[in-house]
Amino acid sequence: MTAPSRARTVAATTGEPVATPSVAARLPGRSLLRLGPLSLQIRRRSVLVAAVLVVLLAAAAVLSLSLGTPYVAPADVLHALSGAGTPYDLVVLDLRLPRVVLAAVAGAAFGVAGTLIQSVARNPLASPDVIGITQGAGLAATIALTSGAAAVVVAPAALAGGLVAAVVVLALGARHGLAAQRFVLAGVAVAFALRALTEIVMITAEAIDGQRAQIWLVGTLAGKGWAEAAWIGGALLVLLPVLAWAGWALNSSALDDDTARGIGLRPVARRIGLAGAGVLVAAMVTAQVGAVDFVALVAPQVARRLVRSERPPLVCAALLGALLLVLADLAGRRLFAPTQLPAGVLTAAIGGPYLMYLLLRGRKRSS
Amino acid sequence: MLSTRDLVAGYDERTVLDGLDLELPADAFTVIVGPNACGKSTLLRTLARLIAPRSGSVLLDGKAIQELPTREVARRLAVLPQSPLVPEGVTVADLVGRGRQPYQRWWRQWSEEDSAAVERAMVLADVAGLADRPVDTLSGGQRQRVWIAMTLAQDTEALLLDEPTTFLDLAHQVEVLDLLHRLRVERGRTVVAVLHDLNQAARYADHLVAMRAGAVVAAGPPREILDADLVREVFGLDCVVVPCPVTGAPLVVPALTSPTLATTTVVPSGAAPSALDATSPTGSTGVTPAGSENALAGSYPSEGH
Repeated sequence: MTAPSRARTVAATTGEPVATPSVAARLPGRSLLRLGPLSLQIRRRSVLVAAVLVVLLAAAAVLSLSLGTPYVAPADVLHALSGAGTPYDLVVLDLRLPRVVLAAVAGAAFGVAGTLIQSVARNPLASPDVIGITQGAGLAATIALTSGAAAVVVAPAALAGGLVAAVVVLALGARHGLAAQRFVLAGVAVAFALRALTEIVMITAEAIDGQRAQIWLVGTLAGKGWAEAAWIGGALLVLLPVLAWAGWALNSSALDDDTARGIGLRPVARRIGLAGAGVLVAAMVTAQVGAVDFVALVAPQVARRLVRSERPPLVCAALLGALLLVLADLAGRRLFAPTQLPAGVLTAAIGGPYLMYLLLRGRKRSS
Repeated sequence: MLSTRDLVAGYDERTVLDGLDLELPADAFTVIVGPNACGKSTLLRTLARLIAPRSGSVLLDGKAIQELPTREVARRLAVLPQSPLVPEGVTVADLVGRGRQPYQRWWRQWSEEDSAAVERAMVLADVAGLADRPVDTLSGGQRQRVWIAMTLAQDTEALLLDEPTTFLDLAHQVEVLDLLHRLRVERGRTVVAVLHDLNQAARYADHLVAMRAGAVVAAGPPREILDADLVREVFGLDCVVVPCPVTGAPLVVPALTSPTLATTTVVPSGAAPSALDATSPTGSTGVTPAGSENALAGSYPSEGH
C-alpha cells in the first residue's frame, strides 16, 4: 500500500529543473474553466464555433419568424419577442414561434443523439437513422397510424418501437463488447428488415392511412409545437447530468480498449452508457417529430470538422443540428409556398452538399 | 510487487496460460521472452488486467488485481499495449494528458498536478518539443515515445509494455530501451516488457523470464540463466552464446545452419551445437576495437547486482 506514495515522492524529489510551469504542459488549444469545485477543459476553437453557431441560429430563428404570409419585419419580430404586445403577436408568438422552437430543440436532440452513437461506434455511419432506431420508431408509428389507433398513441408507440429496435441492435452488437464494426453492421441489418416490414404494413393498409404514415416517415414539423418541444426538451433536461458526463467521457472514445483499460477506464460499460443515452434521445425525438433523416448523421460530422477535433463535439453538434433543422423547416415552408415540404426532405438536401464540400476540402488539405 | 497464482488465462476457447506461478521483482527491469504464440503477450495483458484470468489470480502487492478498482490500479500500474490505435488529430500533449485520467473526474478535468506530471513525462520521454504536433504525423519512434510518455504521466510505480520495440528501426529500438532502463535506474520504477530480441533482452533485463507453450521455462538474471541450452529448449534453435563485446551480457548467435553462409572459416560447423561454454573463441569476426568498446561500455551503467 506504500507503493503509490513512494512513486509520488520519487517523482517529486527528482523534480526536473525544467519543470517551471510553462505552456508546454497545458493542453494545446484548450483552456481551463474553473467554477468553484469545477475545473473543465474547454477547447478554445469549440467556444468560437459555438458562439458563431448561436449567432447563426438566432438569425435563422428570426428569419423563420419573419418570413411567410404575412411577412413580419425582423424588427417587429424582435419587438414581439420582447413581450411588448404588438399586432404581430398572434403570427409571431402563437403561430410561428412554437414551430421554430420545436425545430431548434429537435435538431439539437438529433445532434446529441448522433454524436453519442457515432462516437461510441467510432463510425460516422452509426447514426440513429442508419442503425435502425428511426426505422423501429417508423414501423411502430406506421402500425399505429394504419390500425386506426387514437392519435395520442402514435408518439408513445414510436418511442417504444425505437427503443425495442435499439435493444435488438445493442444485443446483436454486444458480443465482443460492442466492437464498432459489428455494432454498425447489426444496426444496418435491423434497419433494412424494419424498413421492409414498414413497407408491407403500408402497402396492405388503406391508401389514406398509408399516406399519413408516409408523411410521418419523412418527418415534418407542420402542426406541431410546444407540446412536442416540451417532451424533447424535458428528455434532454432529465439527461443533462448524463450529457455533462458524456461530454467528458467522449474524450476517451477515440482510444482503443486496451489503452482505455490501462488508464483506468471501463470502456465497455462506458460505451453502453453513452450509447444508451444516445438511443434514448434519438427514440424520444423521432417519436415526436417523425423520421427526420440525416440531421443526426451530418451535424456531428460537420461540427467535428469545424472544431477540428478527433471526435464529434457534443455542444457544437447540438447547435448545428438545431440550425440545420430550423433552416430546413424554413425552406420547407417557403421554397414552394403555398405547398409545404416536410423538413425531413430538406435536411438531407441542405446537409448533404455541405458535408460533401467539407470532405472535398479535407481531402485537399490532407493530400 | 506483481505475481501470479495458479493463473489460467486465454481467449475464447483457447487456453494459453495453464496454471502459471510467477513472481516479478520490484524495482527491476523484467523482460519476458519466448517464441511466437508462447503466451508472453497473454501473460502481460493478464498482469495488466486487460484480460481477466479464467481462474487463479494476479496479485498486485498481495491483492487480487481484478478485485481492486480499476482507477486505483491505473495509479499504481501503467500499461502500453502492443499497437495502440493512434487517434486522428490528437496532439502529443493531449494524448500524454490522457494518462492523467485515473486522477480526473468529469467535474475535475485538470489540476496543477496534472500539468506537472504531463510536463515531467514529456521531458523524460523527450517529446516536450513535440507537444503541439498531432500524434498521427509523427514517426514510429517518436510515436512510441509519446505513448510511453502517456504511461509515465500516470505516475505509477510499475510500467508494463507489450513489445514496445516492434516496428521500430534499430536506433529507435535502442532509444526506447534506454529510456526504460533510465526509468528503472534513475526513477526506481518497476518495468516489465515483452521483447522479441533475445540480445536486447539480455542487455537490458535485470530479470529474464523465458516462456514456452504457456509455461515459464526459466527466470532469473540473464547472465545466470541465458545459455545455449536454454535457447534450444525455448526456441528450438542451436546457437552459440558469447559475452557481448560491449556490455558483457550474454550474446546469442545462431549456429551455422548452412555451410554456404560462412564466407570465411570462422566456426567449425560441428562445433556450434556443443559450444556450451561462452568463453570459447567463436564468432570473433569484426568485433569493435578495444578502445571504443570501453567507451561504449562506460556509457551504460552496470546492472548493479
